[in-house]
Amino acid sequence: MNGARAERGNDTGGSRSFLIGLGRGAAGAMLFGIPMLMTMELWQLGFYIERWRLFLLLVVNIPLLILLAHRIGFERTSTFGEACRDATIAYGLGIVISAAVLVMLGDIKPHMPLSEMLGKIAIQSVPASIGALLGRSQLGGQSGNDDREDDGEEDGQGGGAVPDEISTSYSRELFLMAVGALFLNLNVAPTEEIILIAYKMTPWHALVTIALSIAIMHGFVYAVAFKGTHEISEETPWWHAFFRFTLPGYMVAMLISLYVLWTFGRLDDTALTQMLMSAIVLSFPGAIGAAAARLIL
Amino acid sequence: MTTTANKRHTEVKEPHWIEWATGMVSALVVVATIAWVAYQAWTQEKMRPDFSIAITERRQTEGGYRVAFDIANKATATAAAVTVRGEILDGGNIVEDADVTFDYVPAESKSSGAILFSQDPGARELRIRAVGYIDP
Repeated sequence: MNGARAERGNDTGGSRSFLIGLGRGAAGAMLFGIPMLMTMELWQLGFYIERWRLFLLLVVNIPLLILLAHRIGFERTSTFGEACRDATIAYGLGIVISAAVLVMLGDIKPHMPLSEMLGKIAIQSVPASIGALLGRSQLGGQSGNDDREDDGEEDGQGGGAVPDEISTSYSRELFLMAVGALFLNLNVAPTEEIILIAYKMTPWHALVTIALSIAIMHGFVYAVAFKGTHEISEETPWWHAFFRFTLPGYMVAMLISLYVLWTFGRLDDTALTQMLMSAIVLSFPGAIGAAAARLIL
Repeated sequence: MTTTANKRHTEVKEPHWIEWATGMVSALVVVATIAWVAYQAWTQEKMRPDFSIAITERRQTEGGYRVAFDIANKATATAAAVTVRGEILDGGNIVEDADVTFDYVPAESKSSGAILFSQDPGARELRIRAVGYIDP
């Protein structure tokens, strides 16, 4: 799959690494897609979701995959064209894997109408395609020197093309948070539990949830020392990062939550307070996803 | 900006103004959200679900008659498993009745559904009412 290198290499080596890449993508699609492929509500959404909302979700996924591929696909070496190619492969893998698993689970049968089959596969292909891209980068990194990539910090120049210092632009940081939030949201938003929780909660619960979501987001990235933890330089007060990253991150998580809830038709004919409550509930996993994305990607 | 050097991320010291602007907007949105929820928490009195039903469509269908309606819940409490019963009355006697159950009728929101009768109510009285619910 590592095109630039694959083309340069000899034919057998090239096609082999391409197949390994495909395998990793498929594994990623499985790994990240299985929770959703085995969720009943998503099967049902496959046939009752409003078609233009599904269409919008499928279209929005395209630039998202391209940007994600550009960011993580081949680490920092890829061109825009390569990112597009990667995104296309990931989307394709997502669709094929979703279809295969749904058929295996007996959720798609020959007598079903075509629109139902397509709807089910289409809605699953979004998280599965994100999973395919993540699988490629997280299950081993680059195909040539993949194993050394992880443990060797001094390996920065070793890969030949990986610069040892890159700047992540602010917009990209927000984008990564959006991807993380979207991914976790797609996992939990279709379930009935989200709205049920929102109905059970009083406004007081909601206030605690907001505070906790923001605290977890900040703690994940700055306080708890995970691998890839962001550091604030000594003389910078903590609230600088809080204002510039954590709060915008929470806002991104809220917006993504609202978008996902709307896509799944959970906001229709609902009062503002109820919308807000569901969004707050969904932003809790969203915030964790957003914070995790900053660390992992 | 975040600078990634040898897999460590360090926030740069002099951020672009746009970062502060985004931060300010986000802070406003978050504070507004919290304020709204807090306002609700203070002012919201404990209410019981309160339904009103409005018929939106009456139509002959194949092998039956459909009466579509909206059910609105004006209270600040959500009701679950709301059973709505439709009855055709002829001079006080129930000629036909049919039930439908809504999973949820959220607070201050409305849901819609339909009851299917086997016959056209015609000029006879048609009564649709909620007969029960559970707290979610």
